[in-house]
Amino acid sequence: MSASPVLWQRRFLALVGNTLTDLTRQRVFYFALIFAFLLIASSVFMAQFSFQQEFQILKDVSLGAMSMVTSLLAVVATARLLPQDVEDRTVYTILSKPVPRFTYLLGKLGGILLLLALSTLLMTAMFFAVLYLREQTVLGETAREMASAPREELEAALRAVQQSAFNLDLVPAIATIYLKAMVLAALTLFVSTFATTNLFTVVVMVFVYFIGHLQATAREYWLHSQGGGWLAQTFLAVVALLFPDLQSFNLIDDAVAGTAIPLALFGKTVLLGLFYTIVYTLLGTVVFYGKEL
Amino acid sequence: MADPAVSIQGLTKVFPAPFRGTGVVAVRDLTLRVEAGEVYGLLGPNGSGKSTTLKIILGLVSPTKGRTEILGRDSREVGSRAAAGFLPENPYFYKYLTGEETLRFFGKLCALDGRVLRQRIEELLELVGLQSARDRRLATYSKGMLQRIGLAQALINNPRVLVLDEPTAGVDPAGSHDICQLILRLKQRGVTILLSSHLLAQAQEICDRVGILSAGRLLREGRLEELVAIENRMDITLENASETLLREIETAAAKAGASFIGRRKSTTTLERLFLEVVGREEKPETTERPAGEVKKKS
Repeated sequence: MSASPVLWQRRFLALVGNTLTDLTRQRVFYFALIFAFLLIASSVFMAQFSFQQEFQILKDVSLGAMSMVTSLLAVVATARLLPQDVEDRTVYTILSKPVPRFTYLLGKLGGILLLLALSTLLMTAMFFAVLYLREQTVLGETAREMASAPREELEAALRAVQQSAFNLDLVPAIATIYLKAMVLAALTLFVSTFATTNLFTVVVMVFVYFIGHLQATAREYWLHSQGGGWLAQTFLAVVALLFPDLQSFNLIDDAVAGTAIPLALFGKTVLLGLFYTIVYTLLGTVVFYGKEL
Repeated sequence: MADPAVSIQGLTKVFPAPFRGTGVVAVRDLTLRVEAGEVYGLLGPNGSGKSTTLKIILGLVSPTKGRTEILGRDSREVGSRAAAGFLPENPYFYKYLTGEETLRFFGKLCALDGRVLRQRIEELLELVGLQSARDRRLATYSKGMLQRIGLAQALINNPRVLVLDEPTAGVDPAGSHDICQLILRLKQRGVTILLSSHLLAQAQEICDRVGILSAGRLLREGRLEELVAIENRMDITLENASETLLREIETAAAKAGASFIGRRKSTTTLERLFLEVVGREEKPETTERPAGEVKKKS
């Protein structure tokens, strides 16, 4: 019965839908979104700078806000999912149905990933709307100011404004923000399978977040100063697995600077994100299977 | 021979106790069978291992030793739960869902969908008497209503085996009576019911067989009427017995010419038996009749 993919999908989707409903009823979701919207909207008031600087700041602040909010949501919203179900004993009623624990965990993860996708889409829409409005304003101002300039000069100026505003590299930058949140959600879910309280999970994840952002630098320093023997390499690989290299998911600086993001780099980042997510989900499943409910 | 609805063989569960050396033994070498179609009551004081046993049967907790089966399938197999329903003690559901949404959610977990699921939801809301509250969020439900929606979700997959952990805990007497009646109706439909309880009068009302657990051990087990029988005492039931016959009954019952309808051992209450078995001192009110008492059937 449980082997049929159709039945499995039905159970999985029921869990995803319910988790999403649960999460969208949490205040933290709305606070986080409002906070992000305010930050993005506030970037509009950077008009005293040159348009290049203005667009750069707008992108920097907006992408930074999106990264912060999705990471925060990934940790805070995921941390309560399992402990809450165990505390309320809803996990008993769910797992006493023919629902494998793996499906249950995957359903929870699916729900949080859907929430993060929705949040990222909403923030992206807000960001692009603000960027578009500012772009149109600056284009209008430029056209007015250069009304008497030769046509080629005007077109070049308008092109410069357009290039400073929207560029396609914003899309992979936003995608990696989502990937980072996905990794954090999977890791938080894994930690929550053995944590006893939400607080413990959140505290652990705060450490992981900072170590994850610093570990690439520490690794470079270590390899540079200590050499790269197999023991050091193994140790660093273990550290890199326990504390994901979150700096790898930071393509914001390139996108803000207007530097093209190579497809190979983006592909590698996507694979890294998927690798971490799958590994943490499997680890979480192993721990959860052994958990006494 | 058909598989029993539930089978427990040599079950032991030891919970690890960090820093204490030895673990906490919740269940010790428990063996019992619940036959298809019967209502079996697992009785015992708090901490006797009732809930742990039920959780092991449903695969929520893994046994340290031994094996449990539902309809011949190992409890560790997810598929064994396809024919089972479970109501945990003091169930707490997602309070943002309405009664109907709750049943739909659990129905989908049992892979039900479409018309079949809608029909099942209707049947169950009617069975547990919650049609008028179907669109109310569970946050507004009373304890008794929560218990009834809990029972409905346990029945969503039309289970052949229903496992109920303290089904009437915290429910008022009227609600409790309703739940007992519901259990009896389910029994009539052929559903096997395994329940845990420490409400002995209720268990006596609805159970066919009971097992008494204390400190993880099964101390007594059997059919209810056999368990509550008192040794060396006998009730004699006579029909059309005259006053004369009643006076002479001790010496001349066999020769008096009265119709002998049947006889059975005098009974104590299940509550008293339970307290004797688990070693309590307090004596409950007895309904025991003196030895040789004769009942006159009207």
